[in-house]
Amino acid sequence: MNVLIIEDEKALARELEIFLTNYNYVCQVCYDGTSASEHVAVNLYDFILIDLGLPDYEGLDLLKEAKRNNPDAAYIILTARAEIYDRIKGLDMGADDYLAKPFSLLELQSRMQAITRRKFGLKNNVVELGDFLVNLTERIITHNNEPVTAITKKEFDLVAYLILHKNRTVTRNQLSEHIWGSIINDDYDSNYIDAHIKNIRKKLNAHAPADWLETVRGLGYKVKINT
Amino acid sequence: MKLKTKLTLFNTISKLVIVTLFVALLPVLIKNINRNYTDNRLRKQRDKVLQTVKALGIQYYIQNGESYAGYTPIKDSYVSLDEDTLAENLDTIQNEERKVETDTIDYRILSHNFFVDKKKYLLEIGISLDSVNETTGPLQNIAFEILVGMIILTIAADQLYSTYVLNPLSLIIKTKLKGNKFPNFGSYREVKTSTSDFQQLDLSIHQMIQTIESTFQKEREFISNASHELMTPISILQSKIENMFEQEDIADELKVRLLEMQRILNRLKSITKTLLLISQIENDQFLKEDKITISELLQEVYDEISIRLQDKNISYELQVNNDWTLVNVNKFLLFNLLFNLVNNAIKYNREDGKITIETLKENNNFVVKIIDTGLGISETDLPYIFNRFKKLKQSLQQDSFGLGLPIVKSIADFHHIKIEVESEVNVGSTIKLIFGQELIG
Repeated sequence: MNVLIIEDEKALARELEIFLTNYNYVCQVCYDGTSASEHVAVNLYDFILIDLGLPDYEGLDLLKEAKRNNPDAAYIILTARAEIYDRIKGLDMGADDYLAKPFSLLELQSRMQAITRRKFGLKNNVVELGDFLVNLTERIITHNNEPVTAITKKEFDLVAYLILHKNRTVTRNQLSEHIWGSIINDDYDSNYIDAHIKNIRKKLNAHAPADWLETVRGLGYKVKINT
Repeated sequence: MKLKTKLTLFNTISKLVIVTLFVALLPVLIKNINRNYTDNRLRKQRDKVLQTVKALGIQYYIQNGESYAGYTPIKDSYVSLDEDTLAENLDTIQNEERKVETDTIDYRILSHNFFVDKKKYLLEIGISLDSVNETTGPLQNIAFEILVGMIILTIAADQLYSTYVLNPLSLIIKTKLKGNKFPNFGSYREVKTSTSDFQQLDLSIHQMIQTIESTFQKEREFISNASHELMTPISILQSKIENMFEQEDIADELKVRLLEMQRILNRLKSITKTLLLISQIENDQFLKEDKITISELLQEVYDEISIRLQDKNISYELQVNNDWTLVNVNKFLLFNLLFNLVNNAIKYNREDGKITIETLKENNNFVVKIIDTGLGISETDLPYIFNRFKKLKQSLQQDSFGLGLPIVKSIADFHHIKIEVESEVNVGSTIKLIFGQELIG
């Protein structure tokens, strides 16, 4: 899939490019609004990531312009100016999602995946894990056709996030940012993710061994899927 | 007491004292005046009689040794002239009783001895005391009425004038001091007055407010700009660390160190985000348009936070005695307010401790109480718990940077929610949130 990254912070743009290329996206980077405007005029993209705070261009104008030429692309707004008004305005103008800086790259990728699923109407996105089936669309885990009802919404979120980044180690920080990212509190070192994982394991193990959910010692957690 | 009230009170009281004094002295005064006047009249009459005697001879009054006496029909005055045989020489004016025909009447009597042809005569002229005193009562009344009238008039005039002259002062107090809600001062409107003291006062207050306002504004701008500006570098660092972490050829030992970097960066990020949130709240950048019941809100907080109870095996009890709908609130902010309070109740609790959350109506107020069995806050620390970056001794072992309660305070202020804290060291704390009527739907 083709991604246009419009970000005036070169160092950040580069990291985005490296990360997304790793995930098999084809990236084009623009450091300013003018060149972005030229790019959207001639190329078609699946994803356009826009930083609203461009030095030479009003971000929302650029969004409007890009939407004219790339109406089918998915738009994600990236901004350090996290004012809610920008957020409302951006979503009103047809942006598909919004990420406030600083964000985790994994979070960006999970949002992009969610948009892809939505846009292409992927139904029954089911992943087989050991004796379990995880339905990412209906958000249920089943064992022998029986749903594991004990799993809470939060716990499913964690499993889904790990599945999305399968075969990679996801750190506790990345996980807690995903499920508690919007909560502002003054803990900076929470190990509550461990408690969640412990609960998930207990609930799954009551049905069948869930050894696909691995602890990567000292680093984080991983869902292993053999492909 | 207000200045105006004090002035009016003083005016009234001082006038009343003076008037009462005057009215009390009035009978004595009038009596004195009357006596002097009467005595003068008596002397004039004596002189007149003596003149007549000198001009026309004693025979004019006394013929054939018969004494002379004359009085008016109502007996309010009389004159008598007679030969006198007593040795002493009288020339007095005093009050005495006289029997006239059948009546006994009190008179003011002038007695005067004089000689004509070596014969001694006694002249007596009397004026009845009743007739002397008959004007006293009415005079006193009239004086009293006039005085009271004058007092009422002057008090009213004083009142009117002091209201008028003090009006700028009450206006300054009302609009500049009471009406000004820190930190939103609004624009300056001059208070019109010709009193230079008030002009000075108004101007000085205005200048002070301006100074405070601009300092405050600068601080808010600084925090807002600083935290915004920090977001981009943090974002770059975070992305770099994440990308490095994903690289397969990196040794696990290095990965652990990268993770540590990530954790520290996360700390920086949390602080910056929190400061930004506080500054956004203080800059009124949040809308208050949400509607939610308090029980739903508490349930949402519980769903997010319940996992944290596990660690110390803390029991959690939610008592919804009263449920109510909150209107004109920002749900995101209120959620964060409650989350932080419950989070603190967990963090500073003991093993196997307890948290009770109660919603209730108390004296017509809607109240949420968060009660924990934790470390508590000492009395000396209590005034400072809402200060930014203030870490209390008891909380030092905890992973916190001292912004939890400042967030709570900013959000509560933003919604005009009152916070009351009661705490006892090693027993626990009770945080009480009191919701104003305007938040209740």
